[in-house]
Amino acid sequence: MAMDIQFEKVSYTYQPKTPFQQKALYDIDLKIKDGSYTAIVGHTGSGKSTLLQHLNALVKPTEGMVRIGDRKIFPETNNKNLKTIRKEVGIVFQFPEAQLFEETVAKDIAFGPKNFGVSEEEAFQLAKEKLALVGLDDSYLERSPFELSGGQMRRVAIAGVLALEPSVLVLDEPTAGLDPSGRKEMMAMFQRLHKEKKLTIVLVTHLMDDVADYADYVLVLEKGHVVKQGTPDVVFQDIDWLKEKQLGVPTAAAFARKLSAKGFYFEKQPLTPEALADEIVKVLPRAKKAGDKDDE
Amino acid sequence: MMNKLIFGRFIPGGSFIHKMDPRCKLLVSFYFIGIIFLANNWQSYLFMFLFTIACIALSKVNLDFFIKGVRPLLWLILFTVALQILFTRGGNVFFEWGIISITQYGVVNGAFIFCRFVLIIFMSTLLTLTTPPLDLSDAIEYLLRPLKVFHFPVHEVSLMLSIALRFVPTLMDETERIMNAQRARGVDFGEGNLIQKMKAVVPILIPLFVSSFNRAEELATAMEARGYQGGEGRTKYRVLYWHKSDTGAILVFVVVTFALILLRT
Repeated sequence: MAMDIQFEKVSYTYQPKTPFQQKALYDIDLKIKDGSYTAIVGHTGSGKSTLLQHLNALVKPTEGMVRIGDRKIFPETNNKNLKTIRKEVGIVFQFPEAQLFEETVAKDIAFGPKNFGVSEEEAFQLAKEKLALVGLDDSYLERSPFELSGGQMRRVAIAGVLALEPSVLVLDEPTAGLDPSGRKEMMAMFQRLHKEKKLTIVLVTHLMDDVADYADYVLVLEKGHVVKQGTPDVVFQDIDWLKEKQLGVPTAAAFARKLSAKGFYFEKQPLTPEALADEIVKVLPRAKKAGDKDDE
Repeated sequence: MMNKLIFGRFIPGGSFIHKMDPRCKLLVSFYFIGIIFLANNWQSYLFMFLFTIACIALSKVNLDFFIKGVRPLLWLILFTVALQILFTRGGNVFFEWGIISITQYGVVNGAFIFCRFVLIIFMSTLLTLTTPPLDLSDAIEYLLRPLKVFHFPVHEVSLMLSIALRFVPTLMDETERIMNAQRARGVDFGEGNLIQKMKAVVPILIPLFVSSFNRAEELATAMEARGYQGGEGRTKYRVLYWHKSDTGAILVFVVVTFALILLRT
């Protein structure tokens, strides 16, 4: 089933009709295509987390409509039978290690599948499989999740969501607080799932390098509005705009810009280190020739 | 679910009641609970109702909040009222069956108890809605000071209270987050029979306990790192000021007391 997710004029207000009323999303229109790798960027308080909770109907829009696969969620949709959506769209929340509660790692990972009616045996099989996927070996299965290190707990929690075998995986800053090598491994693992299992991935992040490296579509949120969307090429084109919004610029693009200021000319703005290297190789001979001429 | 919890929530505002000294508010609220027992006929209860409504109007907080504040305690109130009505004897008997009897005194007493509950809840809700929790705990610390003579750890108790109050919203957010995470893993809260419902609580409670302990430890470390060493010689950031209007408020309550004494039979 194609799990396109579409927002039509979605608004969301926290605690409507009280003095604490607060509008978090304004008329959001967006589409997350099946099989895409979509990044959502924006400052703290821009509405990212609220938007995420719409992706598997944890909250319902106060106005507008969210379509998830072939299910439509309206403000007046009742809470029954939303489970099928939650099975298809798995969300890894920020600091997911906070959701661990079982006695053993195996039981905790199997908890999700069992809620969706998978048999005990199959659930444990899944636990084993997913634990390997996040890079922990079988010896961890019978250990208590609370005696693991922070990074390992994070992996177990992510395995717990992967065990649902969702077709859309939503990641809310999955690498926050991890060390650089752990971060790299984790992002590579998601990339593998995206490529091999054709998983749709929605990534919320502050790291523009991750966006440039992995995403094929970017949504920029600001104060509850989508202010820009498109492929990374398009969104990162206007570096001044990014700087003005203080969103940060991919390292490679910033580097390329410094080179441009020194007289380098790039045909296409590079976003990843690889692309930057390719561009420099293309430009270098010309630059060298120009330099030789100056010497004469 | 969390949004419905109105008890103990502060609503910012600039009314006279908001600006009162928290010590004064705390004192008169307790005083109010005391004098409400003076009321013993419909005139005195009506007077107390009017007085309470006047106080609420003065605070400019919507009356809805007060009515919502009664709701969580409704069953307790109805239970107490029912006991009064069913087991008090005296006056005209309307109905009798074994030890159960509905009598004139019973009904009147029941009605009075109902009023007393509602008034006390209204007044204490007014206190919590118009006073920031931390001001309230400062006020408690101040008012408990005389107990130091008996080596009662006033500062520590008030610190515990402030920390507890401070972390109520944090804990609620945390609960909401963990609930969301578990719902995303297929837990249905509030569905199925009682045992299933109770089982669904485990995946919330354990993570909450774990994070609370972690947070407590972090907080203790942070406090020590910033040189906290108890209340001795510690100055205050929020200083409480007693205004003339606070003395005025106390006088108003004295007048109300006399009025009540005149009205009661």
